[in-house]
Amino acid sequence: MTDSAAKQIDKRSVAQSSLGKIMNTLGIYGIALLFLILGAVLQAFGVINNFLTGTNMLNIVDAVSMLGIVAVGMAFVTYSGHYADLSVPTTMALTGIVCVEMLKFGFIPAIIIATLVGVVIGLINAVAIGRFKANPIIWTLAMNYVTLGIIRLAWANKQIYPDMQASSQRASDLFDNIYRLRFFGSIGLPMVMLIILVIAFHFVFKRTRYGIQLKMTGAARNAAKFSGINVERTIGIAFLVCALTATLGGLSVTSLSRVGAWYNGAGYDFKAVTAIVIGGMTLAGGRGSIIGVLGGVLIIGLMNNIMTLLGIGTFSQDMIRGAIFIIVVGINAKSLRSLGRDDA
Amino acid sequence: MSDREPRQPAFVMKKVSKVYPGTKAVDEVDFEVFPGEVHALIGENGAGKSTLMKMMAGSFDDYTGDISINGETVKLHSPALAKKHGVEMIYQELSLALPISIAENVLVGRLPKKGLFLDREAMVTETRECLSKVGLQHLDPMTPIEDISQHEAQLAEIAKALGNDPAILVMDEPTSALSREEVERLFEIIANLKNMGLAIVYISHHLPEIFQVADRVTVLRDAKRIDTKDITDVTREELVQMMVGQSVTEFYGHENQSSDTVRMKVENLTRKGFFHDLSFHAYEGEVLGICGLSGAGRSELARVLVGLDDRDSGRTWIDGKEFKPRNMAEALRGGVTYLTENRKTEGLATRLDVQDNILAGLVPQLSPSGIYDKTRGVPVMERLISDLSIYPPDPFRTVANLSGGNQQKVLLAKWVACEPRVLILDEPTRGVDIGAKVIIHNTIEDLAKEGKTIILISSDLPELVGLSHRVMVMRQGHFIREMAKSECSEESVLLAANGEEAS
Repeated sequence: MTDSAAKQIDKRSVAQSSLGKIMNTLGIYGIALLFLILGAVLQAFGVINNFLTGTNMLNIVDAVSMLGIVAVGMAFVTYSGHYADLSVPTTMALTGIVCVEMLKFGFIPAIIIATLVGVVIGLINAVAIGRFKANPIIWTLAMNYVTLGIIRLAWANKQIYPDMQASSQRASDLFDNIYRLRFFGSIGLPMVMLIILVIAFHFVFKRTRYGIQLKMTGAARNAAKFSGINVERTIGIAFLVCALTATLGGLSVTSLSRVGAWYNGAGYDFKAVTAIVIGGMTLAGGRGSIIGVLGGVLIIGLMNNIMTLLGIGTFSQDMIRGAIFIIVVGINAKSLRSLGRDDA
Repeated sequence: MSDREPRQPAFVMKKVSKVYPGTKAVDEVDFEVFPGEVHALIGENGAGKSTLMKMMAGSFDDYTGDISINGETVKLHSPALAKKHGVEMIYQELSLALPISIAENVLVGRLPKKGLFLDREAMVTETRECLSKVGLQHLDPMTPIEDISQHEAQLAEIAKALGNDPAILVMDEPTSALSREEVERLFEIIANLKNMGLAIVYISHHLPEIFQVADRVTVLRDAKRIDTKDITDVTREELVQMMVGQSVTEFYGHENQSSDTVRMKVENLTRKGFFHDLSFHAYEGEVLGICGLSGAGRSELARVLVGLDDRDSGRTWIDGKEFKPRNMAEALRGGVTYLTENRKTEGLATRLDVQDNILAGLVPQLSPSGIYDKTRGVPVMERLISDLSIYPPDPFRTVANLSGGNQQKVLLAKWVACEPRVLILDEPTRGVDIGAKVIIHNTIEDLAKEGKTIILISSDLPELVGLSHRVMVMRQGHFIREMAKSECSEESVLLAANGEEAS
């Protein structure tokens, strides 16, 4: 290779990496800002009403918090090179319904039992996929249906209500408050949980041994193993974290609807993956950040809100989200390949 | 070939170049083949042979320079375009589908039809015709590929290429899986194709074959064309000289003595089916070479030593302390590292940057309490980047964008960074350019001088003989011979590995 040619290539790569960095993190928020502006413009032209109002912003924040909690946990799975955890929807439903059922023993015991249920699902996924290398998509999809079956067998399609299950009014109120407790009059508990999780997980990704090992494992499982990383445990922990955040999300969703039912959590799997991918985390693993995922969640939240205000139906919204997912994954893969940054 | 002057070449490449991010893989190469000519293309690993071949196959849409076929300028920007212009490839690995018939494989893409359905009769006759060109007329075209021999499958592959009526046939190491008699038969077929007026590009690194089959030869080195010669005007030594550029032997022979303190001791180590009852020891500051043909059990031994595979029996000691790692992490803690022969799959995370890769083995040390603090690792990494001349010296460069040689340096740096007591190096210079090879060799010698023990597994005989203080020869899972430096020569080691005594 001639030196001048190499230097030319060098410059290009540096230019791209700094541009790439900005795009990967701040760019997401730029796009979120664009959606905000779009909403404002639509409102200015009278196409939609009540976009830029306190209540609506709060709606967005609330919707975003629950999706965010689920997405930042699932990001561990994606980062580890295992695409997504599709058992999230029924994990949310099961932990929620178990918690409502167990309110008869009081609030704290109910939360503990629900968390244990989440831990069990997480551990089963961890062992099957981490230790026995089950295909993550097929396994978690199957797990989703097994869990769904359990719910429908145990509760026979019934919806159960906190105030009818709880041993006391106090327990029922506490459960209702998971979603409704407000700090400073407006910030909900799920939002607080999300902020704490984002800070904690960002730190885990960037500054802990586990985070570095997760990155190595996601980027090249075999090379990680040959570097002395316990890849089975690393992957297992990712699925466990995902199940635990799904539990938090499940409790929040159930508290919001004040009903334990098998359909709580439906759609969260795909929305979370879409947020993760929009947030710049590649499905191949080992690349992306929690801050980026949060940006992706914001975009999804704004988009959903604007579409709802525009009067677009749920089915059409699903279709639009699906199309966006496909486009983002396609663009991502193509640009990485053309930069030679991916050997995929 | 004596009468080619007045004719037009079938295939001409003029000043073609291909740049990968970080590397110029082919640099302004000229290349031409005449009809009825076999033109050999040779060069060391990394010289640019395979990139040039991919260019012919239409794998790139961003090469520069001109390609013309039968006088007409063409753009080989996709495999389909290359095929359309009459370039057919025969790859080292078969591209036939095993469970389906020879006929369907050979005629794929142009299966004869009768109305809506396949015309079986036409299929059989057409396939027979193709097969007869390669001497396979005795085969039933309806036999599935998996039921014919490897050799026949390879010929069927050629038959398939011929079926598309190509002007240029590119063959990549076509003899690598063939026995001696099969090679002779292949050469007869090639001679036949030549007489039919086909232009053949023959890529190989077996020099004797080239003298047998080629009319002209072009040598590539470091992405450039060194020279093109009539095969009758050149000797094997001259070709080697052109391929290597400088005499490799001159890099070795720096005297350095290993101490007589035993660093690693192995007794009766066995992994059933792979190797049996291996006993040896290695000294502080020693380079212990392990040689053997592929399949002799060399890499398997290394994997057991670092706990990647389980042992059935046997004991190991490091500095007098029993050493029995159950996984790579324990081996690292015990001061033993293993540089794998599979750089891209087991060695490096090619999608991550240089820094992440070099520090990968140090992660436990840099995060004693679970919090990762790379500040202590950065000076080590920077020193290694400069010591090993990793180019470009940019810690944030994605490893996939480095040349093979620099990737290999990153892999070596990762294990040197761990400051191990024993480094097991499995083919440390496979597929790297000569510059990187020299640096890696110097590093190995320096490490030995520092008192580290190196166990060097290599199929590169000059390297093995040049660097090792002693060589253990392995054959079919056993050590059959130990040779002191004075006894080692490329010839004696190769003969021993083949189970023959040097005369």
